[in-house]
Amino acid sequence: MAHELPYIAAILEAIQLEMERDESVLYFGQNMATTENEPFVDAFGNDRVRVTPISETAEIGIAIGAALAGYRPVVELYMAEFMLVAMDQVLNEAPRFRGMSGGQVTVPIVLKAGYGFTAGWAGQHTGTLSALFMGVPGLKVAVPSTAADAKGLMATAIRDDNPVVYLHHYLLTLDHGEVPDGEYLVPFGEASVRREGSDVTIVGTGWTVDRALGAAERLAGEGIQAEVIDPRTIAPLDLQTILESVDKTGHLVLVDQATRHASVSTVIAGEVAEHGFGSLKAPIVQVTGLDATIPYSEPLEAYVLPDDDKVVAAVQRVLGTAHVTA
Amino acid sequence: MDELGGEQAIRLLATMWRIRLFEERVGQLVRAGEIDGLIHLSTGQEGVAAAVCSQLRDDDHVYSGHRAHGHAIAQGASLGRVMAELMGRDTGLCRGLGGSMHLVDVEHGFMGATGVVGGNVPIALGSALAARLRGLDTVSVVFFGDGAVQAGHFTETVNLATLWRLPLILVCENNGFAEFTPRSAHTVVERVSDVVAPYGLGRVTVDGNDVQATWDAFGGFLQSARAGGGPFLLECLTHRVRGHYEGDPGRYREALAEEEWQEKDPIIRLERHGVAEEWFAEDELRGVAAGAAEEVEDAVRFGRESPLPPAGIVESMVYADA
Amino acid sequence: MSAPQGVEKLEREHLVWIYRQMSRIREFEERVKRTFEEHPGVIRGHTHLADGAEASIVGSIANLGPDDWFFTTYRCHGYPIARGTDPKVMMAEIYGRKDGLCKGLGGSMHLTDVSNGFLGTSGIVGAGIPHATGAAWAAQIRGKGQVVLCFFGDGASKQGAFFESLNIASLWKLPIVFVMENNGYNVHTRTEQEDANRAAGEDLSVKAKAFSMPGVTIDGRDPLEVYETVRTAVVRARAGEGPTLVESQMYRLSAHGNIIAPPGVPLHFPEHEAIEKFGAPEEYEAAKQGDPVPAFRGRLVADGVLTGEEAAAIAEEVREELQAAVDFGLQSPFPEVETALEYTYA
Repeated sequence: MAHELPYIAAILEAIQLEMERDESVLYFGQNMATTENEPFVDAFGNDRVRVTPISETAEIGIAIGAALAGYRPVVELYMAEFMLVAMDQVLNEAPRFRGMSGGQVTVPIVLKAGYGFTAGWAGQHTGTLSALFMGVPGLKVAVPSTAADAKGLMATAIRDDNPVVYLHHYLLTLDHGEVPDGEYLVPFGEASVRREGSDVTIVGTGWTVDRALGAAERLAGEGIQAEVIDPRTIAPLDLQTILESVDKTGHLVLVDQATRHASVSTVIAGEVAEHGFGSLKAPIVQVTGLDATIPYSEPLEAYVLPDDDKVVAAVQRVLGTAHVTA
Repeated sequence: MDELGGEQAIRLLATMWRIRLFEERVGQLVRAGEIDGLIHLSTGQEGVAAAVCSQLRDDDHVYSGHRAHGHAIAQGASLGRVMAELMGRDTGLCRGLGGSMHLVDVEHGFMGATGVVGGNVPIALGSALAARLRGLDTVSVVFFGDGAVQAGHFTETVNLATLWRLPLILVCENNGFAEFTPRSAHTVVERVSDVVAPYGLGRVTVDGNDVQATWDAFGGFLQSARAGGGPFLLECLTHRVRGHYEGDPGRYREALAEEEWQEKDPIIRLERHGVAEEWFAEDELRGVAAGAAEEVEDAVRFGRESPLPPAGIVESMVYADA
Repeated sequence: MSAPQGVEKLEREHLVWIYRQMSRIREFEERVKRTFEEHPGVIRGHTHLADGAEASIVGSIANLGPDDWFFTTYRCHGYPIARGTDPKVMMAEIYGRKDGLCKGLGGSMHLTDVSNGFLGTSGIVGAGIPHATGAAWAAQIRGKGQVVLCFFGDGASKQGAFFESLNIASLWKLPIVFVMENNGYNVHTRTEQEDANRAAGEDLSVKAKAFSMPGVTIDGRDPLEVYETVRTAVVRARAGEGPTLVESQMYRLSAHGNIIAPPGVPLHFPEHEAIEKFGAPEEYEAAKQGDPVPAFRGRLVADGVLTGEEAAAIAEEVREELQAAVDFGLQSPFPEVETALEYTYA
């Protein structure tokens, strides 16, 4: 059984179910739990659900300490950029404790943050920082692109004994989708093949999955069948599914909203070049954000970001079918 | 220190009306879909911006946070260029690249707004350091809200500013709310001036909607800072009429009744005060608001008629040229 | 088991326990330092010693019950010793060996002993303060009367994490005691060079006023004064009345740490910064005169709590215990290299 929910509600449903199931799950952060009739406070009380001041270093550090002491905190950070204020706690504390202690402790925290507020929120709120968290041993990163995945990945994140950065895209907030009822878990490290095809593989994350799907629709009209893959988690990363697809199609286009050298796509490109070289019939092409602080003005903002057109053009380039305009 | 007298008071009223009507107009344009993005209006807090910035010079450095329109305007930014920036036009202060939360007007000393709460507090300290190193009498002023005080970098800055005795003036607009939560959710210490008390810097709490009181308090600090003193903290108790951002349903607090707001409104109070002090007569005031309204409409027209920036400027703005 | 565990009146056995722990810490740190000379290359990286801080460490830890927790800094050796962690596995950890407390993975700065309420150590100044605060929140939810001791240096009291954590602890009335060990230095910067309060001649405990939190400054070289003050704070915390900031003043008898040098330059402990950097040997001499370990021994002997022979016997036992720890560490093999990958993820 399933029901329709917007993406953001699916995430909160997962948190609620996990908090019901396990009383060690905590949920806290700025701007929550301050009035009566807040569903989380009503359901779980002020011990487990709290508001904090604007203190990201302390918020994330507190989550780590509570986790070391046996709880499973979910920190509501609202925006990925706010994690930058506390990068020591995110990159240098949370993922390190288990290793440094020789396995004595676990840090089961979830850092929940929106990202990609590319709707005129300007230079400091619109970045895509997902790749900053990739490759930090001990840290896992989930990037859902559908409501169902949002629910399933959050549930898995909470049950995972490791620190998880859970990034949910702002532009997908109200996207509705069919969400399974009750307990629903999406495993980490398992990509989703969103559309099957045999001519080209397109990999996107978060909001760019829809760019890939949109491009695939248009390409189908030109007789090109694109296979669209959504890794869903970038750490761990399901390279296997991508390699199998590239083996089938021989062509790879990677789409990422981040800037090129700080993108997930650059990492995947390196891996496929090394492990899937024999499958490739053409160079890998990346469609990423341009190297600029995201501008405020609407046409400039659109200019620096990937879109369906840019993905279509990239596919055409890769397949050598680009139309030459006179 | 300058006394707040007739001429000055009229100028302050004009600034306050400019901010008030500008913000109102921006709110309308947001609702009409002509301005997009994340917009935070400073309606109700004009008294602080006016009382502080009108005493500053263009070579002072002023910093603000996400609720920066009023500060930029009070510091001298042209309404047209601010409006054009909000409309994402090439003629905007930042050629459409920054938007509401990232206004910059270096010509008038407005060094920047930031979208990260408290982010500009340490930066403002840097400007104060520069002023001292150069042996200048300029000051650095940073506006922030009560919410920023609990961010660690705020007190980090207070410690250094006090240790190094720098000409930094911290102006806190304490409107009792940080985004959607009241101060009591953030700390047990009610007054921001009590939070910094252990560092012994000059500080005072004033009614930020009493322009005379704010003017006097800031003027005293300013005079000291220019003469080698500092830092100082001016806590201005004020009221944010609009929600945290445009679109905020504001369910987390009770709206002020109209009569209550009339009692607090810094514009009405300054008008009354000025008339009582015989700085001006009531009929002299009529033109002030009207003049501001015209300026705002000119600004809207200017913004609407301005071109969008060319896509190519994006790359050219990433790095300073070698 | 004569650990006081927060008892109101200290009996003879408790006083002897306190002295013994102080001696054990001192001997441990001396042996770590001697390892640089006697077994060069065995200790790598950067290690920080707590000689001079024993009275404050033991006086504080003596207030913990079996279910309480504590967090500290890169200068972390003393606390687990007082808490009952085996010095053998601690030394093996500092030597990077398989039998080390953390299997050789953490080293000197990251000691962890969950079985003793020592949940993990960050080497980043101030970073552990929020961790301790989070554990205190956990304790509050559990409602079993647990308390957390959070140790940090004066240097950390300028870090954003300090202000943020103390504010939240005060707001939520968390069962935590913040113990600031003020040894007058942050690496090789003197406190008055970086702290506005110190520069103004004030005690650092005044910082607590910013959080409406009680703050108190004490002589961290007197274990009984430390014990009593921390006890009051622990009782307050257990009763749900909230945190306290205790500024424990002392002097660090070793340099900040062993030298930081490029590979090839033998590591060693330099002289204290007062001598090497500030040209103030008299400051150091005065501090040595106030060394808390012999001072407490002298006091116990003068008070008739210990005879001279008993004190000497304790010294000998401690010497033997720590020699065994060094031997154990040296004999422990290096971990299998695959261990490096084993504890990345739970």
